[in-house]
Amino acid sequence: MKSAEALLAVRNVSKRFGATHALKDVSVTFEAGRVHGLVGENGAGKSTLCGVALGVHNPDSGGLVLGGSPLRLDSPAQGAAHGLVGVAQELSLLPAMGVVDNVVLGSEEHWGPFVKHRANRRRVEALIAEHGLEVPLDARTGSLPVADQQKVEILRALGRESRLVVLDEPTARLASHEAADLCSTVRELAKQGVAVVYVSHFLNEVLSVADTVTVMRDGRIVRTGPAEAETHESLVEGMTGRHIGEIFPPKPPAPGGDAGVVLRVRDLCSAGGEFSDVSFDIRAGEILGLAGLVGAGRSDVAHAIYGASRVASGSVEVGDRRLSGTVEDALANGVGLIPESRRDQGLMARRPVRDNTTLPHLRRFRGWLGIRTGREQTAAGQACDHVGVRAESMLAPVEALSGGNQQKVLFARAILGEPRLLIADEPTRGVDVGSKRAIYEALNAMARSDCAVLLVSSELEEVIGTCHRALVMRSGRIVAEYAGADMVDANLLAAAFGAGETTAARPR
Amino acid sequence: MMARVLPAARRYGIAVVTVALFALLAATTDGFLSQANFRNILDQQSALLIAASFATITMIAGGFDISAASVYVVAPLFALRVENSTGNVVLAVAVGVAVGLVVGVANGLVVTALKVNSFIATLATSFMVFGAGFLISDRSVLRASTDAYPAIARTRWWGITTGAWIAAAVVAVAWVLLSRSRFGRHVYAAGGNAEAARLAGVPVARVKTICFAMAGAAAGLAGVVSSSRSLSALPSDDFSFVFGVIAAVVVGGTSIAGGEGAVWRTIAGAFFIALMINGFNLHQIDPIWQRVIQGAVILAAVAIDSWTQRRSQ
Repeated sequence: MKSAEALLAVRNVSKRFGATHALKDVSVTFEAGRVHGLVGENGAGKSTLCGVALGVHNPDSGGLVLGGSPLRLDSPAQGAAHGLVGVAQELSLLPAMGVVDNVVLGSEEHWGPFVKHRANRRRVEALIAEHGLEVPLDARTGSLPVADQQKVEILRALGRESRLVVLDEPTARLASHEAADLCSTVRELAKQGVAVVYVSHFLNEVLSVADTVTVMRDGRIVRTGPAEAETHESLVEGMTGRHIGEIFPPKPPAPGGDAGVVLRVRDLCSAGGEFSDVSFDIRAGEILGLAGLVGAGRSDVAHAIYGASRVASGSVEVGDRRLSGTVEDALANGVGLIPESRRDQGLMARRPVRDNTTLPHLRRFRGWLGIRTGREQTAAGQACDHVGVRAESMLAPVEALSGGNQQKVLFARAILGEPRLLIADEPTRGVDVGSKRAIYEALNAMARSDCAVLLVSSELEEVIGTCHRALVMRSGRIVAEYAGADMVDANLLAAAFGAGETTAARPR
Repeated sequence: MMARVLPAARRYGIAVVTVALFALLAATTDGFLSQANFRNILDQQSALLIAASFATITMIAGGFDISAASVYVVAPLFALRVENSTGNVVLAVAVGVAVGLVVGVANGLVVTALKVNSFIATLATSFMVFGAGFLISDRSVLRASTDAYPAIARTRWWGITTGAWIAAAVVAVAWVLLSRSRFGRHVYAAGGNAEAARLAGVPVARVKTICFAMAGAAAGLAGVVSSSRSLSALPSDDFSFVFGVIAAVVVGGTSIAGGEGAVWRTIAGAFFIALMINGFNLHQIDPIWQRVIQGAVILAAVAIDSWTQRRSQ
């Protein structure tokens, strides 16, 4: 390997936000032509460190050194002028505009006030040819798949002759094959001589794409070293500071043959064509995994069972009651949903923890003058304690909580309904390792109390580590079922991608 | 210490500022601290408070209703038509409120079923309602023909006009409904995150429609109270009433984006503006300058609100 040249050095940087000490005397060097992985739990300081490197945050002490000389950045625009560019977790594209417009945004070729469309297009075509990032140029950006939109964002960064590109959780919204594509794009970027900083929760991804890995915890750097020297386990240990050994708690015992069937789905077809002919059962105390790629129809099935989206035909029975297909009916029959995106589908960010917890169950606290808030608060507090929500007060806005605690609030909401069936749609997405374990334990506790659990997940290790049985969906159909020793990575992946039709078993 | 005081100041800022303005006027302005002056302010604010308390609820639910002005102008025309021809004041008031209710339900259905942006939808219905006002009144001023109609808002109980009492009752209902009821929670949820609310079993479209309906009825009642105070109603296409309503709601700190706010905030906002104008009048400041200052104050209030909210994140 050729020796890499230091591009940007962060020297002894400290940064406080109010009472939180986000960075404590952090020093790290990003090298040209290298992919530098940055891992740590939520709140470890990864985003703040990136912010300092890009000029979003001004350090309280310490500073930056760019190519050997000290650098002071007061705004991200100044950072960009030095070729330091970030690709945010949330894409910053204009969805209604074309790909070319987005790539050249802010640096358009122009003649006076007029934009030179053809010159811009040629520039983008040259960029695409140079880096091998194929994107359909004539599409409206918003209509592209997320992976392509990310390429557009990366092209934009490349078009400005970037020297350092920060990618913050670039694959959080991608399916696994798209993520693989993105990783090769990232390698390509580094080959062009760019220093890439790659922030991700997906440790295997970091291990495969990065040359160097920095592990952070509590605002400090634990260590920086070559990626070859790290393993999944060593990273987890570094991030959490404790020997977790296993992320997954032991599974509750699988229900016996005499356990009653709680959920019975028969020949369910969605009205919008997202899935068809879905049939399966879940018994009391059973955790059933629903695996598959993004877009395979898993969340759609979950929503249809919950009555949140329309079905064309088929039936859903909980206990012995056939559900009418409305959310209210599902809730009344003991179905709880933890939705995929807590921000978009789960929480009212600025409302109190209490209100967020009790929202579907307010009838229970009815008094003569509206809600009996005393009882409500007690019940919400108990439910939150039960799943380990750490909040200053039940009346604090839920946005003040960490991601893991916000997710636990959604658990508390579901548990408060004493569900017979709990549907958890990607319950650990964007959650740190410690909170993940707490969430798996909450799922197990539900199963032990004879609740049926449907776990929708795109992380195979999660399905294997927590479920008694797994169904795999592909293109809107259930294509395979695995349990016990057959429930391994290779089988699930093969079924999800459709490579080699294996023991495609369908439930009766 | 500061860490605790600051969030509280942020939370109750508008109440603190309103009390401070009150104290300032009391200390510096002759004629401010008199019963007659306060009664006057209460009476003048009655129509606005009636409409603004329910406009607050609509705004929290994520709706923006500017049809309140048209209902405020036109509902009393219908009410006085009924009063002139039947002499029945109860029926007249009922018709006035019903006009508002019908417009409100229509607004709600257009917004939720046809998914038209609520500002545009209520702008469109406003024109239709203003037009209906010219038609029903034959483009002329309508006057009360009985003594009972003026008595609706002008009777004095313990020195306070019934207009102000009606406003107090409406405010109390809106306040309890929003802060204590299940419906109120649904309003916050629908405005804060409609998709999350739907997945939590909140009937979002129904909640929003009810909000528009109630806001319409309240604007109708506000129009009736106002016409009772002035003994007459005049057809026009004057939007100014709703701007006063929105100013009170927004200065109070209710979020235009929905999901946040409170009825008490709107009351504080309304009285802040009313006290300011009262102070101007007592100091005999040119009404033209009053407008300029009033606009600047509204701008400042909203800018400070948006600034503190960004800081608190």
